[in-house]
Amino acid sequence: MGALGASSFLSACASSASGPTTSNGSGAVTIQSNLSSPQAKAAMEKLIETFNAQGKGTASLNTIASETFRTQLPTYLTSANPPDLYTWYAGSVANDYASKNLLLDVSDVWKSLGDYPQSLRTLSTDASGKQIFVPMNNYWWGFFYRKSNFAKWGVQEPKTWTDFLALCETLKSKGIPPIGIGLGDTPWVASAWFDYLNIRINGAPFHRELLAGQQRFDDARVKAVFTRWREALPYFDPKGKAYPFQEATTALLAGKTGMFLIGTFFADAAPKDALGDLDFFRFPIIDPAVPLAEEAPTDGFFASAKTANPTGTRALLSYLSGVEAQEAYVKASSGIVLPANPRAKASDSPLVVKGKAMLNEAKELTQFFNRDSSDALQPTADTALTKFIDKPDQIDAILREWQAGAEKVFKG
Amino acid sequence: MNKLRTGAFHTGMILLSLLWLGPVLWVVVMSTRSFDDIAAHGVGSLPRSFTLDTYRQAWTDGGELRALINSMLVTVPSVALSLGLAAMAAFALSRFRIPGRRTILLLMLAGNLLPPQILLIPVAKFSELTGLYDTLWALIAVQVGFGLGFYTFVLHGFMRDLPGEIQEAATIDGAGTAQIFTRVMLPLTRPALAALGALSFTWIFNDLLWAITVLRTDDNMPVTPALLALQGQFVSSWNVIAAGTVIAAVPTVAVFLRFQRHFVSGLALGAVK
Repeated sequence: MGALGASSFLSACASSASGPTTSNGSGAVTIQSNLSSPQAKAAMEKLIETFNAQGKGTASLNTIASETFRTQLPTYLTSANPPDLYTWYAGSVANDYASKNLLLDVSDVWKSLGDYPQSLRTLSTDASGKQIFVPMNNYWWGFFYRKSNFAKWGVQEPKTWTDFLALCETLKSKGIPPIGIGLGDTPWVASAWFDYLNIRINGAPFHRELLAGQQRFDDARVKAVFTRWREALPYFDPKGKAYPFQEATTALLAGKTGMFLIGTFFADAAPKDALGDLDFFRFPIIDPAVPLAEEAPTDGFFASAKTANPTGTRALLSYLSGVEAQEAYVKASSGIVLPANPRAKASDSPLVVKGKAMLNEAKELTQFFNRDSSDALQPTADTALTKFIDKPDQIDAILREWQAGAEKVFKG
Repeated sequence: MNKLRTGAFHTGMILLSLLWLGPVLWVVVMSTRSFDDIAAHGVGSLPRSFTLDTYRQAWTDGGELRALINSMLVTVPSVALSLGLAAMAAFALSRFRIPGRRTILLLMLAGNLLPPQILLIPVAKFSELTGLYDTLWALIAVQVGFGLGFYTFVLHGFMRDLPGEIQEAATIDGAGTAQIFTRVMLPLTRPALAALGALSFTWIFNDLLWAITVLRTDDNMPVTPALLALQGQFVSSWNVIAAGTVIAAVPTVAVFLRFQRHFVSGLALGAVK
């Protein structure tokens, strides 16, 4: 036992001796990645391999469990010797770090991204007007359903809110819970309903102001959102409160619910043979006068302001935002994602074509509740929305509490 | 009447052990199901498929070999070092009239009563200051530091109850302090050391919190964070995670089986005066 301990001790010494000197001067650029699902991880590994083979610099990939990554990201960024590049979300979450001077100015990289849409450029720009984020891809949210089930039930995709409620009524009369949801463990899924109703009724600008603390949650306009939601509430699957969205996916695929408002990532939880049978429709229009907005969470990269190798980091970012890298990533990762580079081809499955067309039609894109506000505000929404689904009568009190909770978050 | 009681006892115990084994069995069964089976029927349903490919995926794609090596590189030295230091401290505190020895012991134990969560940021910052951040050394240092108080306390209680005459006899025979420690005290403390060794091995091997606090490179991660890394952002392959968990449980089970005898007798020895 003693001898074994001593020899392992020595080898521990040998293996960790190279540890602390990972990023000095012009050494390899380290990417801290939260893409830990096997397919996404493999896709990233392949990209880095290609980059290293090109000889413009070297990079090393560091994949961390996404949940660990989320909690440790502030520690990584504020450490004395931080990793160079990080996978993360665009929008106010990135701008938050930028306002603390933790992010590298990547305006240089953006000079070669002239053909990116203005919406992505605005999204990647911080309060002081410099770009701090490079988008990699985005995806969309919608009401997903099985084509074969809709055909069996003899129903069509609805366009307007009235159509939608009529569809729910039809499904309910056939004994199928019309709207699937999964709030156990994943209560944030309910925020999609809030986001969508708000951008359909009050528009995206109001939604952003609300999430930035410039409007109040106990406003009459916010209450109007919940008045609409109440019309659809009787059609929610009552079992949805108990299980997470992954199981809600299973329920949808088994025909135990009619449709499901969810992001495209849910398809990763679907068996391969069901993928071809999936289709979706856009969140129904409520007020045609409100400019059309869609949720399109954008993922990508930002870099640490303290990187020892800014040139190498920018070179890697330029590579990652290029057509070749983005197409390779879309192809290798199983998720249904759209490349950020407008010249990069997305997968040509009918689902992706439809999703891309829907986003192109939208006048405005929003990210998602937590990405448009902060991870700190998300729990206040989770509490308020789950309470509303349980006790819709108490909406006034719920909104007052939400406002009080939000004020605490905004005060910091 | 007696028969009835025995019967009731056995049924009760069978039910209790099923309750205990249920989750373990569930994980083992899940590890042999295919992803499509779980996706189509949910994690709780009965298995409709059988595959052992999940173990290959956990081993190669999940990088579990590297993670297990890291775990052993941390666990074995940590256990050896913390038990060695704790034994010395316990020897000194229990067999010599060191001024303030009670306070020292209580202070060491008090450190263990602090919830580790409040120390996460200080530990991360301190390991950065010392240049150990993101090395296995940092994890070993943390594990030794946090284990020491409790191990010393247990060993102190054990050594205090060893008859003083043995030590006196050794002194008369001309043994110095170091000799008494290595040749008299340590062999006598063996049951307690074995029990503590098995316990601390499990604790350190199964630790997650400190590993993700002081490490950030995936190649350095021990097996618990590596298992966590098998989870995707939204969707996880529960079958592969279950397979990885089964593999990761092997070392601790092996250690427990090996030290089982000591474990039971060691705990009892400290209890009765």
